[in-house]
Amino acid sequence: MLLPIVFALLLAGGAVLAAQSSINGRLGAHTGVLESAWLTFAVGAVLTFLLMFFFEPSHEATLFSVPKWQLTGALFGVVYMLAIVFAVPRVGTAAATVSVISGQLLMSLLIDHFGWLNNAERALDGSRYVAMVLLLLAIVLIYLSHRRSVHPAS
Amino acid sequence: MQHALILLGVLIAGMGLSVEAGLLGPLGEQVGHLSATLSIFMVGALLLSLALLFSPKRQLGALFKQPRWLLTGGVLGPVYVIVLTLATPLVGVGMTMVGILCGQVATSLAIDHFGWLGSERRQVDGYRLGALAMILVALWLM
Repeated sequence: MLLPIVFALLLAGGAVLAAQSSINGRLGAHTGVLESAWLTFAVGAVLTFLLMFFFEPSHEATLFSVPKWQLTGALFGVVYMLAIVFAVPRVGTAAATVSVISGQLLMSLLIDHFGWLNNAERALDGSRYVAMVLLLLAIVLIYLSHRRSVHPAS
Repeated sequence: MQHALILLGVLIAGMGLSVEAGLLGPLGEQVGHLSATLSIFMVGALLLSLALLFSPKRQLGALFKQPRWLLTGGVLGPVYVIVLTLATPLVGVGMTMVGILCGQVATSLAIDHFGWLGSERRQVDGYRLGALAMILVALWLM
């Protein structure tokens, strides 16, 4: 019962991300990358503050009481953004996209397998290995697709 | 050689995205999903404000000269982060990432094909269609 809802949520999350990167790409071309990233985070902060202020049920722990290392998530997001801005003009979108996705999937499977960062352990089993092979093939295809869109003639 | 180093750096940055999701899930369980999401955007906004303040050339004013719909990226970001905090404790980081990737590839395909959001129309692309099919099967296998 729960699983289909989570699936739908995840697909929607990915859809929103694609729309966002398309919009921000255009915005960034007009205003600069730092400006468009700032806008995204500033609007996001205002919105989530309002949502939290009015709709968050109260919890025993707060952002001020949890161990500080649990609050470092944003740093990874900012580092990612800087890395992309630095890399894309030097290695191209195709290679950069493929590297990001590979790192993302690899690390997510490791976190699950070892239960790092207080996550539940979800061991790598046969079907996950098969999934990894398929994802690898998908990454190759994504690379080819990007290559083609950069050099339409070849 | 330099190429390989840059790609390695980007790969590590991509790993960081999964670490971010892995931190968010348990944090959301403890302090609430909206608070966890706020922590991401607040810290990010503050850091980028500092960066902007000290960047050699900034053109914040240009933001307000753009058509309004180009400024909606900030509304979409929180949706993605809230989904991360909700989904990771339930299905794990791996499935979360594969599911997100699936929605992303499908939507970017549609955006290109139909020329949505002012992008140039591009025919459906067999490679990405194939990638999407494989990601779907992988999602099912996870």
